[in-house]
Amino acid sequence: MQSANVLLKKIVRSSVLPFAAQHGMKKDLFPLHRTLSLSLCLKQDNSGTPSEKLDLDAWKKVMKSGLQEEVSETVAEHKELSTLAAARETLEMWRLAGRSVPENISEEQLKTFMECPSKSAKKKYLKYLHLKELYKKNDRRKMDEKRERKLEAQKQASETDETKRSSFVCLWANTMDKAYSWRAAQAMIFGQPLVFDMSYEKDMSVREVANTVRQIVLSEGCNRRSVDPFHVHFCNLKDDSLYHKEFMKHYREAWGKLLITVTDQCYTDIFPKDKLVYLTADSPKVMKTFDHNKIYIVGSMVDKSIKTGVSLARAKRLGLETAALPLEKYLLWNSGAKNLTLDQMMHILLTLKDTGDWKKALEFVPKRKYCGFVSKPVHELKKTLNLINTLKLGKRQEEVRRQFAKNYSKKLTQK
Amino acid sequence: VQPPEKPLQAEEWDRLRESFQSPEIFEEVMFNSMVRCNSPIDVAKSLLTHVAKSNGDIAYNLLLKYLALCVQQGQTSEIRDVYDIMKIRFRILESGAYNLVIKGLSNSDQWRMGLTLLEEVKKIMIPSRTNYESCIKAASRHQEMNLAFELYHEMLAKDVVPTLDVLQAFFDFSRGMKGAELQKELFGILLYLRENQIYPHKTFMRSIKLWFESIPGGNWRGHLTNIKDSGLCPVCNHQLEDSDLTEEEYNNLRERIIRDVIHGTDTFRKTSPQEFEAFQTFVENRLPFDIVIDGLNVSHIKPRRMQCENLFDAVNCLAKENARLLVLGRKHMLINSSNWKREVMKEMQNKADFFFAENISEDDAFLLYATLRSGKHCKFVTRDFLRDHKACLSDSLTRHLFRKWQLIYRVNSKKMFLSLFIQQPAFSYDCVVQTTGDTWHIPYKDSFEEKYSYQVPRKWLCIQQQ
Repeated sequence: MQSANVLLKKIVRSSVLPFAAQHGMKKDLFPLHRTLSLSLCLKQDNSGTPSEKLDLDAWKKVMKSGLQEEVSETVAEHKELSTLAAARETLEMWRLAGRSVPENISEEQLKTFMECPSKSAKKKYLKYLHLKELYKKNDRRKMDEKRERKLEAQKQASETDETKRSSFVCLWANTMDKAYSWRAAQAMIFGQPLVFDMSYEKDMSVREVANTVRQIVLSEGCNRRSVDPFHVHFCNLKDDSLYHKEFMKHYREAWGKLLITVTDQCYTDIFPKDKLVYLTADSPKVMKTFDHNKIYIVGSMVDKSIKTGVSLARAKRLGLETAALPLEKYLLWNSGAKNLTLDQMMHILLTLKDTGDWKKALEFVPKRKYCGFVSKPVHELKKTLNLINTLKLGKRQEEVRRQFAKNYSKKLTQK
Repeated sequence: VQPPEKPLQAEEWDRLRESFQSPEIFEEVMFNSMVRCNSPIDVAKSLLTHVAKSNGDIAYNLLLKYLALCVQQGQTSEIRDVYDIMKIRFRILESGAYNLVIKGLSNSDQWRMGLTLLEEVKKIMIPSRTNYESCIKAASRHQEMNLAFELYHEMLAKDVVPTLDVLQAFFDFSRGMKGAELQKELFGILLYLRENQIYPHKTFMRSIKLWFESIPGGNWRGHLTNIKDSGLCPVCNHQLEDSDLTEEEYNNLRERIIRDVIHGTDTFRKTSPQEFEAFQTFVENRLPFDIVIDGLNVSHIKPRRMQCENLFDAVNCLAKENARLLVLGRKHMLINSSNWKREVMKEMQNKADFFFAENISEDDAFLLYATLRSGKHCKFVTRDFLRDHKACLSDSLTRHLFRKWQLIYRVNSKKMFLSLFIQQPAFSYDCVVQTTGDTWHIPYKDSFEEKYSYQVPRKWLCIQQQ
């Protein structure tokens, strides 16, 4: 860069382009420099010796030389590639070609990749793995940085050597855990039951099941930390199911020590039917208040392709009461589906249980999904919203029409 | 970045690279813009030479981009060279490189080399439709029709959908050629269009017409025409195929709808078994109906009026013709409210049969069932396109049958109550490629005309043998 600037200055000084020197030197530095340096070089080239003539095919020689013998033996070695190995090689080539493909791929992932039914499914899966890898790498990098910073801080602290005094021994995590467990144990005896219905495995893909379990793990965690936890029930959970396998991946040994009830029985076998309420976004009934005597059921299902009516069908089959959250009543809905994630549900239910305040509870609905809380009567708000929309749309339609007319006339004139 | 116009020396490239904001990706960006601006390949070569000399190696993606540039400019010998280098350097190649090489070679006199590459691709994956397209076009361009058809059948067998360009190429390049076998194959393509309800565009249609007229000793003549609503071709006075479903198709469709749409994975999702059974006995006792009305849908036709008034008009209008009516609704219609007056509902029930489903059930499924159960003459009235129900059907063939049936059996609601809804009039003839042996009728679309999926083209090519 610097050399280029020097070069530029030289040119300017030699007054090839005095105009440029006077105007916008700094601003136009980059583009100016490029063209200038180029023309200068070309000039030099012309005046230079003819022996400097470019050999345009030199790169071929470089590419062909030196590699011949080494490569030829590997080719012989790998004459017959197994399909898995071939897929791995293709992936590697795709990565070299600059597609979003993970750097490392396990045997298992490779098999899933091969089993993808279509080309687009394969592409999607690879992109997913690629992004996952990137996130992981970033996390690791951040962790390393943090550790280094910590070490440095410690070094500084040891230099200053200042002793802290406190009346408690620092055992935070441990004591907190104990306190939480104590509360959860209490909830197991006296707490209000909350049921997760684990009977949707056949309606979900493997990834959806994994997501579901992740969300349940999060909800269990926030339940444990709450002031007055629910007594969580996992119902219809079969021992050899995918759900179970995923849970084992998350909890490992802790699975046996969780203070919740896990059963393969249905909730209708455990609780009286008239006390059960199935929470589903498809329900025609809207929940008005949180009832402390009812037992709420949440369907453990992630449906990325929104399958309407699956959990409602289940409640209908069992003849249970259903309810939906009063999202419309309290929030000015903007976009997105009305089904919430399981941990959001848990947050909302816990808040309702503690305070009964809908506004506070519905804070946990993602902000992108609503414009704001309803303050005026709903029909009034809707009217203004409709008005705004028609104005907006009306304007846009007009614009589209104008654009179209413009393009069309352009086409005609071109012909 | 503007690529230079002449090949540069190493130092010059170095200088350019340094002035670039992020030098790591300089070569990539430069190559991209070379492809975009279609720069002379000498410039690209000089950059490659520079990279090779400074790094001792050239990355795969740069080679790929250079290859794209060569293909773009039809530099056959360069394509071969790059391919050779890639082969030496890498054990296998990926689809992008193969796509480029096959495309590049197929357009040259070394098109046979493209075929061997296609074989190579087959070893690691299913070739893409563009791979096949290049090879087939190359083969037919060199009058190797047998080879082209072999590839064509191979791609069909692998469930790779051919592009319209491929199909058109067959007609273009076999113009004037003799041979019963060839003729059979091309008729086969026309039947492929028929089976998959594909409508050729204008230029494709012209290729078909020219081919027919060029068959030696065939005496085929083609005319462009519009078919009358009655289904009579004005050129050859031939009656087009009836659009009615056959008995077998009809029964098939009915069974599929009951199985996939009404029951689906879970009967409870749309109705409940008790309710469906009740509905079934209700329908069986009153069969057959002439018109089935989607009560709730029809009641919303004019938003300013009371909903029951809308329905009342519709029922009155249809009842005049002495037809047996069935109106489907939901239970909430029976509760006296501002929109549903009890007296009006009572009066309507004298003129038509009513079935009220649960408020959370889907009445569309009942609509389909009652119509199909009543037989082929029965029609239904709704503004709904029933797309969600069509999507429930498991295979494309049944979906097509559904659409065909839907077009035939829907009454045009525009005529009846001046609603804003415009529905395409149902034709009495079937809009697909068809033949009687000595005539062919081929519907086509103007390429510039926008066509919705529920519309069928109105223009036809009539070909007859004299």
